[in-house]
Amino acid sequence: MSRVSHMSAAAGGGRAARGARGTLGSAGLYAALLVATVLFLVPFYLIARNALSTDADITGETWTFFPTDLQWGNVRELFADPAVPFARALWNSLVVGVLHTAGTLLLCSTAGYGLARIPYRHAQKVFYLVLGTLMVPAAVTFVPTFVLVSSLGWVSSLRGLVIPGLFSGFTAFLFRQYFLGFPRELEEAARVDGLNHWGAYWRVVVPNSLNFFAAIAVITFIGGWNAFLWPLVIGQDQESWTVQVALSSYLTAQTVNLHLIFMAAAISILPLILVFLVLQRWLVQGVAQTGIKG
Amino acid sequence: MPAISSREWDRRDLLRAAGGIAALGALSACGSNTGRGGGGSGRSLKQMYHAYGEPGTQQAAQKFAKAYRDADVSVQWIPGEYEKKLFTALLSSDGPDVFEFHPQIHMAHERQIVPLDDILEDAKDDFNEADITSHTIDGKVYGVRMIDDPQFLYYRKSLLDKAGIEPPDTLDALIEAAEKLTTDKVKGLYLGQTLQPIQSPLIWSTGAELLTPDNEIAYHTDEVAEALRKLRRLYAGKALLKGAPTEHWDPASFNQGLCAMQWCGMWAMPQILEAHGDDVGIIPWPSSGGPQGRPAVYNGGWSAFVSAKAKDVDAAKAFVKWLWIDQKEFQREWCLDYGFHIPPRKSVAAGAEELKSGLAAEGVELFNSAGIFDNPSWTQSMITTLTDVMANAVRDDADPEAELDKADRKIRRELDKIFG
Amino acid sequence: MATPLRRPAGRGRRPVPGRGHALAFWLFTGPFLAGLLVFVYLPIGWSLWLSLFEARSTVTPTEFVGLGNYLTMLSDGDFVRSLGTFTVFALFAVPLTFALSLALALLVHRIRFLRAFFRSAFFLPTACSYVAASLVWKMSVFNGVRFGLANTVLGWLGLDSVAWLASPDPPWYWLVIVTVRLWLQSGFYMILFLAALQNIPRVLYEAAAIDGARPGWQTFRHITLPQLRTTSTAVILLLLIAAYQAFDEFYNLLDKATWGRPPLVYLYNLALGENQDYGLGSAGALLLALLICLVTLLQGRFLGFGRESDT
Repeated sequence: MSRVSHMSAAAGGGRAARGARGTLGSAGLYAALLVATVLFLVPFYLIARNALSTDADITGETWTFFPTDLQWGNVRELFADPAVPFARALWNSLVVGVLHTAGTLLLCSTAGYGLARIPYRHAQKVFYLVLGTLMVPAAVTFVPTFVLVSSLGWVSSLRGLVIPGLFSGFTAFLFRQYFLGFPRELEEAARVDGLNHWGAYWRVVVPNSLNFFAAIAVITFIGGWNAFLWPLVIGQDQESWTVQVALSSYLTAQTVNLHLIFMAAAISILPLILVFLVLQRWLVQGVAQTGIKG
Repeated sequence: MPAISSREWDRRDLLRAAGGIAALGALSACGSNTGRGGGGSGRSLKQMYHAYGEPGTQQAAQKFAKAYRDADVSVQWIPGEYEKKLFTALLSSDGPDVFEFHPQIHMAHERQIVPLDDILEDAKDDFNEADITSHTIDGKVYGVRMIDDPQFLYYRKSLLDKAGIEPPDTLDALIEAAEKLTTDKVKGLYLGQTLQPIQSPLIWSTGAELLTPDNEIAYHTDEVAEALRKLRRLYAGKALLKGAPTEHWDPASFNQGLCAMQWCGMWAMPQILEAHGDDVGIIPWPSSGGPQGRPAVYNGGWSAFVSAKAKDVDAAKAFVKWLWIDQKEFQREWCLDYGFHIPPRKSVAAGAEELKSGLAAEGVELFNSAGIFDNPSWTQSMITTLTDVMANAVRDDADPEAELDKADRKIRRELDKIFG
Repeated sequence: MATPLRRPAGRGRRPVPGRGHALAFWLFTGPFLAGLLVFVYLPIGWSLWLSLFEARSTVTPTEFVGLGNYLTMLSDGDFVRSLGTFTVFALFAVPLTFALSLALALLVHRIRFLRAFFRSAFFLPTACSYVAASLVWKMSVFNGVRFGLANTVLGWLGLDSVAWLASPDPPWYWLVIVTVRLWLQSGFYMILFLAALQNIPRVLYEAAAIDGARPGWQTFRHITLPQLRTTSTAVILLLLIAAYQAFDEFYNLLDKATWGRPPLVYLYNLALGENQDYGLGSAGALLLALLICLVTLLQGRFLGFGRESDT
């Protein structure tokens, strides 16, 4: 698609007329892009460099560009460190990320569909109730939510980590907007075939919306994996720490082992980098769709 | 007065509703607990430590817990933000039964901790007197001291010699020394990122106290304000190490040669000796502020407490008695085998050969001659309030007098809440 | 009650609102709505109640203090200062992120060769968390001692090391805080702008070229920018919402500082710090929520967002 638009642009602009200025201009473009790219990738370089160094390399008087003697043993040392249960934190993050994503998709998509497509006289009131939560970001009400969740005895528990975050007014709103634009004909065909709303939803609407679901899923998972404030508040017990809380604990810990801290950072972002590279198409699509509509 | 009684009535209704929700919470909390613990003896205890920096400590804590026969003790090891984690945990229904902390009066008043006189009994006389008095609140002893940790200034002898200076004995001399010791690679002095560890020593060194014996504000004097001004000049200059990746409690900055002097604790002495050999000396925080000034060493440390919310308070007490009163060999190991800490038990200290010579002996000497212990009336929120003074008046450029006035208001409110 | 009257007439086969759909509606929205009531509305109600009490270290307090907590918060210089911090932060972060992401999008949009590579390079930081980024910034990029990257570069230039985060004077910490956000967010919004740029009809540029508009600033000003209006307003709104929730990087970068403390960090310390003051914490949270509601509504009025719910 983008290739087509380029061809038309080139045709419209007149290829010959641009000539030398165009080449110079695009050299400048690429130079600017390269500088920006280097700046954007420097933090990744630092993570890799420090994760594979010894502390002496990192803190030395002169800058070591990359350790010649790669310290892969840092990985083992990190997981063997008894002070921070890092493997457990990775596992927690994975479980929380998956449950968070699955729960959010299920609850918010059905709610969004109900709001968009089921004619019901109180639907508008319910919609206002959802919209009301959009005005106050969930993070702002973490004190009240903590009060409630701690009274339920859910502190340091998986349900405390996951359940309060499932009811995202924003995601429900996105689904509603999406379903408003879903072709009515498909649904009506299903209704003619004798399916009720529920059946039509699962047999026709969802299978035809997998791209949108995938996009929201990737974004929700990343959000869940990277969330910090709520896991920090609720993860009082080390056993319930997520990766982000574990990482943060290194910043306030008694002793600072730079190489371990950076190895931990590297391992914490690696899964998401992979998700990014593999699922980039959906992700870009998802960002474009959800962002604009939000 | 019908208006009042109806308001009372509303409130009671609300309370009942809240109680109902809380009960619901308790119910589901029971549900969530079934997966935990459940060992042979049937009793289980949760013990909470802050994360010690010295290698081997966590394993030792677990070893002690495992050696206890009368209950299954699980050790929680908290790196970073220990106070916050502890206070939140104590509030929850699933908090620690036994934990380490510093003596603070509000915890006793709010019934978060229980008196331990009955387990101390005979052993009381074997403790350093100050370790008993600093844990006595309204006539009862609330904590069992585990370790005494004096904090002082470490300095590199060779660097001072090279600069041609003597170990400083006044605040002015300290600032001057820091400036002279500063080169393009090495800073003169490191006091931690937040300056929190030196806030009390600074006040003491002017001759002032934190609170009077009747628990009135005593830190707000002209000398303290003046000392803050001097510290601000030091902070604004180039002689102080700022932005180091590690806090004052970690000797890394000193050991990596980032600074020539550092405020740190007795605990780090083995690591420091390993890094610099006998090229190290220690001094107290020097006297600041005229004739009534005095050198000050902060006698910090950690003590064991029993949570009033413990599921079985007696079992928790029995464990504290076993570990921190009966097991002298474990106490010796905890104090001497990882970092250096002064054993609070006279009988244990008597056998501590490691502390009887060299720099360690000098540390013990400073602990005894210039050391000042925690005042249980000085609570965590007062500590934080003073840290804010350090932040605003020293790290930022605010007027110390105005900042102390602001702190007075907060601390007075706190004192009113505690003492009425 | 008024259903029969308001039933839209003549809409053909479209199902009419009525009792028959109630069950289906609640089946779809009921679970979500129940959660919303319990985990969003109930806590707000509870904290409304808590905010009227002296509630230290307890969530079932007994000492009624009326509006005392609100008055304490409003007269608390630090709370008010935290709102100021947020304002400064938003003034820096929002326009800068906006400009950078738009600039990146324009650059990437104009090239043909290696486009996917550059897009990925700028988008990749979105994968990182604020915690990981803060860690790299604090421990490596803007480390205050000689072995930090920024200080190493300063050293090569013969300049003194800077303790970036140690002191508010000069306020270097803003550089650290704002660059974290720029790095993490720009790629995300760049994607939004890229998508919008691709949707601008080519015809517009061709027509402009015929009218004599020169490519570059003129076409950008008169065609690209107006065409991006919807995306731009959306991006500004999203950036502001994200700024309200700023916590992670401040918490991890500025430990125990009294400056650079946005409202959420202040509330965290109040409610979950030494004092465990849920009364004051609740009052502060509600004041903040109220403020954000007001700003959102005002913003909706100015940017024309309120009408979106009609679609």
